Amino acid sequence: MAAPDLLDPKSATHNTKPRLSFSSKPIVYNSGDDCDTITTVMKWKTVVAIFLLVVLYLIIGATVFKALEQPQESTQKYLIVQEKINFLSRHACVNVSELEDLVKQVVLAIRAGVNPSGHPSNESSMWDLSSSFFFAGTVITTIGFGNVSPHTKGGRIFCIIYALLGIPLFGFLLAGVGDQLGTIFGKGIAKVEKMFVKWNVSQTKIRVTSTVLFILFGCLLFVALPALIFQHIEGWSALESIYFVVITLTTIGFGDFVAGGSEIEYLDYYKPIVWFWILVGLAYFAAVLSMIGDWLRVISKKTKEEVGEFRAHAAEWTANVSAEFKETRRRLSVEIYDKFQRAAYIKRKLSSELGQNPGQDMMPCKRTLSVNFTDELEKEGLPTLTKNGSLYLNGLTPDFPDRGEISIIEHLK
Amino acid sequence: MSTAFRSCFVLSGFILAYFTYLLLGALVFSAIERPVEETLKSNLDSLKAEFLNLSCINATALEAFLEKVLKANKYGVSVLENGTLHTNWDLASSLFFANTMVTTVGYGHTTPLSDGGKAFSIVYALIGVPFTMLVLTACVQRLMHPLTYGPISMCQRRAGLQPRAASVVHFIVLLVLVVLFFFVVPALVFSTIEETWSFLDSFYFCFISLCTIGLGDFVPAEKPGQRLRALYKISVMVYLFVGLMVMFLVLRTFHKLADVHGWTAFFQLPSYEEEHEDKEPIVEREPDDESPEAEKASIKPQNPSSQVSYNSINR
Repeated sequence: MAAPDLLDPKSATHNTKPRLSFSSKPIVYNSGDDCDTITTVMKWKTVVAIFLLVVLYLIIGATVFKALEQPQESTQKYLIVQEKINFLSRHACVNVSELEDLVKQVVLAIRAGVNPSGHPSNESSMWDLSSSFFFAGTVITTIGFGNVSPHTKGGRIFCIIYALLGIPLFGFLLAGVGDQLGTIFGKGIAKVEKMFVKWNVSQTKIRVTSTVLFILFGCLLFVALPALIFQHIEGWSALESIYFVVITLTTIGFGDFVAGGSEIEYLDYYKPIVWFWILVGLAYFAAVLSMIGDWLRVISKKTKEEVGEFRAHAAEWTANVSAEFKETRRRLSVEIYDKFQRAAYIKRKLSSELGQNPGQDMMPCKRTLSVNFTDELEKEGLPTLTKNGSLYLNGLTPDFPDRGEISIIEHLK
Repeated sequence: MSTAFRSCFVLSGFILAYFTYLLLGALVFSAIERPVEETLKSNLDSLKAEFLNLSCINATALEAFLEKVLKANKYGVSVLENGTLHTNWDLASSLFFANTMVTTVGYGHTTPLSDGGKAFSIVYALIGVPFTMLVLTACVQRLMHPLTYGPISMCQRRAGLQPRAASVVHFIVLLVLVVLFFFVVPALVFSTIEETWSFLDSFYFCFISLCTIGLGDFVPAEKPGQRLRALYKISVMVYLFVGLMVMFLVLRTFHKLADVHGWTAFFQLPSYEEEHEDKEPIVEREPDDESPEAEKASIKPQNPSSQVSYNSINR
């Protein structure tokens, strides 16, 4: 298997965990197959199809978010406007523009991380060493909460350079952690599997059970437990804690909830533990997400296979049907031709009996045809008929013998 | 046993290096930003004092008011006069939001407020993130042929360069082109459209977004009274998606370069390579008919481009 993608924190763990080798799945759509042109065509189609699917997914998400969030937003808006009006009416000496100015400044301050409410104490800063450490961590893991962000030119330039070097470094680290994690889990699960083997359970069931176990155990350790801790320490609701955990560990990192970001008095070792949890949790989440990705790929591959099978069946069916159709047509045309032959023969007999000249010029092909068909007049097995028929009726439409026969009959009359 | 020991050693080396790096960053950030913060604080103090002096308000009433304003602001609702006109959750903005979520950029300028929204985000993200990664991998894999393998083999044939040299040349050219077209040009565009952004700010924004860090201090199309807001947002979305794909492509090319030069063999954690063959995967592919292909795939040499697993996305 290829080298781990060490440069990408999200992908790093995935490759280095052969034990939980969801990643060593065979190549799906872009399999380097034999015929290049065929795979090229298929690749594009698959990619375009999946792309459209993603766009659809986004649109669905957008509509749902809009439906869920817009009412809340309107309520907030209404409330705050009311508040403003109340304030202005209660304190008549304040004019609107002054208030606006103050609010603007306050908002800017908040975005800079300064809390103007209360007395901004000189002791706690958003840029003291531990907070800067946390910020540097969020940059490197690409979570990027954003509750704190650099405002100076120098800070921003440094941030760019820092991220350029730090993200690959973190990728290396994550690869290593993921590897260790995989080893530990793998050993545990191997033991469990041994137990199952004793009970003579099928391989697939073992594998499935071990996956489920892995997911459950990991969820418990990296999601449920931290969520409880956050709920207790930060004072968030259960949903908010889980939301924070998921948003952080998928490295989305909105920043509306940040562990260690509020004004509460934290224990000294709280922030380092949070950071350590992020590191290990990221490795776990990378594994889970890769598993989901693999399942999606398996589903898409299965669908593709099924579609391929369906197409193959359809093609086969069509081929069969058209072959049968052709055969029926041939049979029919042969029968019709045969009947006309008989009619012509009878006519000739009649005309010869009536003393007329039978020796008309018959078209050579017709003669050959008639000769052959008189042989076949006994109506041998249809296959032979069709075989001969196909030789001679090749290119001849069923109409042809009719017209020919009619002309001959007319000749004979 | 020695390989296991060595891997542990290498891992702890990395952890140590990582810690040092973080510490260094913390020190530098602290040194740069703290003075600015102090200035802002004192400005704000004096502003508040001024305000209180002029008017008849007492401090507590002002505090209460400010708290409410800040709470609303956290939700993206602005109390300023012209702020009531636009909503953060019209279709284009929601689409933008969904996009930042699945690409894991996550600006945070708008966040779900309701409980339903939060619960939905959890599920949406858990499915959407791997899904997007899958798409990006597929696209990048497809793009590697015309953009990397093609030019490299062309270099080799026409210019007669060795594979190593050809890949280096190609990588440098690719890097220059990417920086030019995905950082410099968009930064220029953004600095023109957004009046308050300087060129450095725009460049910083492009970088932070394309690395999916997404701090959220700069977000385009957020100005009140922005013309053609929906169109602007959607074009930014497209730019982010394509840019992300290109970043993956660059990283993957770099990976190939490293492979050709044998660097990956050097940097790889040793346990990874050797133990791979005899480790049995915990989860066999769900359908058993895939196993013959799987063996084939696992025997393949370290060719990162053959790695399709969605997570092997280079950024």
